[in-house]
Amino acid sequence: MMNLLAALENSGFGTWLRESPSVWAYPAVLTLHTMGLGVLVGGNAVLDLRLLGWGRAIPLAPLEKLFPVMWIGFWVNAISGIALFVGDATTKGTTWVFMTKLVIIAVGVLLLLALRRTVYGRGKAVAVETPTSRVLAAASLALWFLAIVTGRYMAYV
Amino acid sequence: MNETLDLFATWLRGTSISEAIRVTPWLWPLCEILHFFGLSLLIGVAGFFDLRLLGFMTRVPMSAAWTLMPWAKAGFALAALTGVTFFVGAPEQYINNPAFYVKVFFLIVANLNAIYFEVIYRKQIERKELEVDGPSAIKVIALVSIVSWFFVIYWGRMLPFIGNAF
Repeated sequence: MMNLLAALENSGFGTWLRESPSVWAYPAVLTLHTMGLGVLVGGNAVLDLRLLGWGRAIPLAPLEKLFPVMWIGFWVNAISGIALFVGDATTKGTTWVFMTKLVIIAVGVLLLLALRRTVYGRGKAVAVETPTSRVLAAASLALWFLAIVTGRYMAYV
Repeated sequence: MNETLDLFATWLRGTSISEAIRVTPWLWPLCEILHFFGLSLLIGVAGFFDLRLLGFMTRVPMSAAWTLMPWAKAGFALAALTGVTFFVGAPEQYINNPAFYVKVFFLIVANLNAIYFEVIYRKQIERKELEVDGPSAIKVIALVSIVSWFFVIYWGRMLPFIGNAF
């Protein structure tokens, strides 16, 4: 395992990302990771706030269009995240903080899928809040907050 | 000019509040977390409203989309408060940092743009006079908003790389 992590880190791409003085290497990838975070967590927050009772005048049906936006944020961060991991594989691959972050993200994605099924599963026309959707929305907001907590904490390990 | 700024940074760094920010355990990372969460709320809620202005999700009445805006402002307040904390705690990292000034420039653009929108269109939106669509000027405002907030993120992220802030 350690060999694999070291090989990743010392690969041409890993070395370039870590050591290139260009702002298009590490700085650009980190910036994309921050923007993706804003889009994913922010889009999620809009839906969650609505399901938790704020902005009740907003009909739920058109908010389903937020999902593609969130997925864009998610994939930008999955790809930029893999790149950041490759550049620092022996550190990130061996710390419980990173493993915790991955679990949090996995649970966050599952919650998002569950949320979509609960609210929109019976067709857009009958998109409704339920006690379940409220719980899922609160959990989802908390999980993405924790993803930020563990992500920031990564800078200190 | 630079000398004055340096004197100011040295003075600020010597204040007890600046020292308190630096020596309080975990305060800096806590502020980073809140800065990022505030940024997400702002980008999410303001971005949602901007997309609505641009003509997406037209079945959301404009006045309804507007009711979430206090959350964007709360996100901004959170990011601004923690941002000021960074500046007070380590002013020397920002005072000679070109990325910092470009970030502040885009912050000013984004805020003036938002204030202009409120002054001109808020009443019309709250009176439900623009429920489906508005003048094309609001689409320009929405674009300026999205672009300038993303530049704020970009130049914020560049702080450690162009000017060596952490």
